[in-house]
Amino acid sequence: MNASKHEHRAEPVTVRFAFTPAAAYVRAARLVAADVASHAGVVTGLLDEVRQAVGEACTRAVLRHRDSQIDDLVRIEFSIGDRFVAKITDNARDMRARSEGRRAPVAHGGDARPNDHDALEEDTLSEEITLIVLGGLVEDLVVTGPDSENGTTVSMSWPLPGGPQSADH
Amino acid sequence: MRGSSSDGAPEPELGLSLSAVGAYSVISVTGEIDMYTAPKLREAVRQLAAEGRMLVAIDLTPTEFCDSTGLGVLIGARRRLTDAGGALVVVCSNPRISKLLDLTGLDKVLDVREAVPSE
Repeated sequence: MNASKHEHRAEPVTVRFAFTPAAAYVRAARLVAADVASHAGVVTGLLDEVRQAVGEACTRAVLRHRDSQIDDLVRIEFSIGDRFVAKITDNARDMRARSEGRRAPVAHGGDARPNDHDALEEDTLSEEITLIVLGGLVEDLVVTGPDSENGTTVSMSWPLPGGPQSADH
Repeated sequence: MRGSSSDGAPEPELGLSLSAVGAYSVISVTGEIDMYTAPKLREAVRQLAAEGRMLVAIDLTPTEFCDSTGLGVLIGARRRLTDAGGALVVVCSNPRISKLLDLTGLDKVLDVREAVPSE
């Protein structure tokens, strides 16, 4: 359990799972997120936001794994304490040189295979848009990494009834 | 349709229906646009362009969910169509998706309307 700072509730709860980085499973992840958030007591008006945000973070993670050509699992953890906290962790380490080589085609038209060019461009666009959406959507958002040993973690939290109102994540 | 299921993956929850309003070919989208289903929408626009139908409206009003992958498809479709002398109109009176367009500033980039242009 990673909920030691959530002393407010008697029994902090953690839900943790991982999925193969394939597009087909992002939907499952965001539906689980909304369901766990609902059970945790996140107000109904925020459940769409939780679903969207977790979906965006998972999409980003899958794109990062695809970009790095790794099929490690994308890891998700929800914890319920004073707030509802969602953490989505990818395993795409910092490989800046490769990454920049991959991104260049976006600006210049690139040399991707013709049939895949649009898809590649939109994938790269999407990875950037995910962070824009997350930044606009989620008040309490922290993205850490990557470094040479670890990928990135997107941490987000939402208030729960009875918990502190400010984002103290 | 993409398949269900030798690997247990669900059917994509996306429905596309084609119609014509005035000069526009209209793709009405139901269900969820995400990284799994978005290729189907991308392909529909590509198909229309290949047939020379360069005025396209994508109607997101009945769409249940759209993520950044869907937004990427809209941007790609706009570029593809305008490069070919056509145009993309995004029809959206759906508050959830309007919020997404607003958050990303795409409401300023895309031609977003409440209805398909009828002229």
